Amino acid sequence: MSTGEEGHMAMADRGSRKRRVGVKKGTKAARNKKQKSKPSTSDRFKVTMKNQKLFQKRARDYNSDDDEEEDDESKKQPEVTIREKIFSDANMGPNYEEIGEEDNDENSDGEDHGEIESGITKFATDGCNAFKIAFKAIMKKTKGDDTLGPVLSAHKHLIGEKLAEDEAEKKAKGQARKAKHLIAEKGHVKPGSYLDSHEKILIGVATKGVVKLFNAVNKAQHAQKGLNPSRSKDAKVLKKRRKEAFLSELGKTKTDTKPFDARRNKLVFCLDLAPIESHEKNHLMSESKLVFCLELASIEKGSPSAHKSEDEAPVWAPLRDNYMLANPKLKDWDKKQETSEGDDFAGLSGDESYED
Amino acid sequence: MGRFKNNKKSRVIGKPIAKKNQEDVSHVTGDKIPKSFVFSRMKLAGPVKQLQMDLRKLMLPYTALSLKEKKRNTLRDFLNVSGPMGVTHFLMLSKTASSLSLRVARTPQGPTLTFKIHQYSLASDIAQSQLRPRCPQDLFKSPPLIVLSGFGSQELHLKLATIMFQNIFPAIDINTVKLSTCQRLVLLNYNKDTKLIDFRHYSIRLQPVGVSRRIRKFVQNHQVPDLRNLQDVSDFVTKAGYGSESEGDEEAATVTLSSDLGRVNKGATKSAVKLQEIGPRMTMQLVKVEEGLCTGGIIFSEYDVDGKKEKLKKKQDEEEEEDSEEEGEEGSEEDGEDMDEDFED
Repeated sequence: MSTGEEGHMAMADRGSRKRRVGVKKGTKAARNKKQKSKPSTSDRFKVTMKNQKLFQKRARDYNSDDDEEEDDESKKQPEVTIREKIFSDANMGPNYEEIGEEDNDENSDGEDHGEIESGITKFATDGCNAFKIAFKAIMKKTKGDDTLGPVLSAHKHLIGEKLAEDEAEKKAKGQARKAKHLIAEKGHVKPGSYLDSHEKILIGVATKGVVKLFNAVNKAQHAQKGLNPSRSKDAKVLKKRRKEAFLSELGKTKTDTKPFDARRNKLVFCLDLAPIESHEKNHLMSESKLVFCLELASIEKGSPSAHKSEDEAPVWAPLRDNYMLANPKLKDWDKKQETSEGDDFAGLSGDESYED
Repeated sequence: MGRFKNNKKSRVIGKPIAKKNQEDVSHVTGDKIPKSFVFSRMKLAGPVKQLQMDLRKLMLPYTALSLKEKKRNTLRDFLNVSGPMGVTHFLMLSKTASSLSLRVARTPQGPTLTFKIHQYSLASDIAQSQLRPRCPQDLFKSPPLIVLSGFGSQELHLKLATIMFQNIFPAIDINTVKLSTCQRLVLLNYNKDTKLIDFRHYSIRLQPVGVSRRIRKFVQNHQVPDLRNLQDVSDFVTKAGYGSESEGDEEAATVTLSSDLGRVNKGATKSAVKLQEIGPRMTMQLVKVEEGLCTGGIIFSEYDVDGKKEKLKKKQDEEEEEDSEEEGEEGSEEDGEDMDEDFED
């Protein structure tokens, strides 16, 4: 009994699998019944000898599962035959009949028996027939001399080829990636952990700049120590002191370090460490007058002290009234600006440059 | 999708840099505070992207740190945004297979300086190379100082570069500036011979001079010193530590402070200025100067000297006969003479 049912289960499973592949249609009822039948059989497998009697008794009390199963199968029969038809039309093609015949022959020999599974076995054997044919075809093949036999993956030359191919592919990919990386990293330099001489020089230059600034700040702020700029009284004193400091700086500009000292003491503090000789400076001044004008204008706006600087006949040449006339280089500065490449300053200085 | 694209086209997503009108003008100097955008209009590879981020950090605090650019953003979009936000400078990185370049432009109408970046190192590279990278909390809260060195020649393009970089950071009023805000420094060093500009970014640190290392560390770190090997507490003060690291040779690097700076540096005492690099580091070359914002006439070009002269010629004698122009082109091979001719005209 149990063996027969096992066989039946297997068949049913195969059938259901086949149905999924081949045919889309399937009535709900049939599916339900199959699902019902499954747990019952599986229960039966679990039954130990001890409890068997008890179950049998219970089975007798209720409508027994066997009856149900029989009902199922009787209902299944026609359905499966229909399915078989469709199957034969759709999938198997012209060969089908031959196969079918073979099946029938073999069926009679096989372990499946009884009228219960006739429909299913037919269907199931169809399914397993394809496999059978394939299997036979394989079995008909003569085995080569290779000790490895037909196991393709074990063939050494095949493996070798595949590996070589992979290697080449990998190499090509790696090279492409490397090239890309090289392009991305172009110019990227990772500095060493030591300070080379060039860096030391640069740090020295920067330090000089900072020291200059800090000293200037110290000088400027030393004068206003103890005064609170928010108080009006102190603010006046501050103004006065700043003005004095500013003018004194302007006075100093008579000496060699003319334009750059003046520049440094303006509100706009620009550190310029350029080593420039005095004659160069004069030339530079004449050429970059626009810049100077701009900066001077900003001073006059920004600091109140600068307003009064004109009254006291400034020592620094550009602040004098006759500076533009006296200096032959500056006489026709506006003409020169057009001819030379003065356009570059236009964007920066804007209108302010024409104020003077 | 297309419609969606069009709607979004002219938007540049970014944090507003600051409150609009209040912060535009510095309350100290009364000048307009320069602000900047650092962006790129192409997809950048890893290290260059990082360089862009480093540059943004360098430009802090008046820059958009988390500016998001998209491929469809044109320069015009950035320009449109820059107006209301008071952005005065654009720094644009662009990368081709052969070269990396940085364009520094003044908005809204130029000029634009194009630098070719020959070498660069990221801030992280620099930090890795150092034994103790330094990054105090408020390092990026104030703008850096800028030091230009070696630019003072008569060449106009260099002068223009000087002006550009001087104005890229807020001006300092030496009467009111607090030294505690001077935390960083950007150095641009022009090498006349190689025509390369070294771009460095340092942090400034002040140390009291003439104090033994132990005591300085004790004051700075607030940690209980190890006194196990000492006989008496006074030993800790009197016993000189290991040689005062290179204090002697840097006499030039000492300043006298006018006011207290931090806990350690008291006013009216000598302090040593120590610089430590924080990166990024760049070696670049000025290759092109354009009149407008990435457009307009070429004022200066490193490689194509002819172009500049042709342009000049055109400007000067547009209505003159073409013969002279040809002459000019021919003559432009000999640099010096031709220049003189140009100016005489």
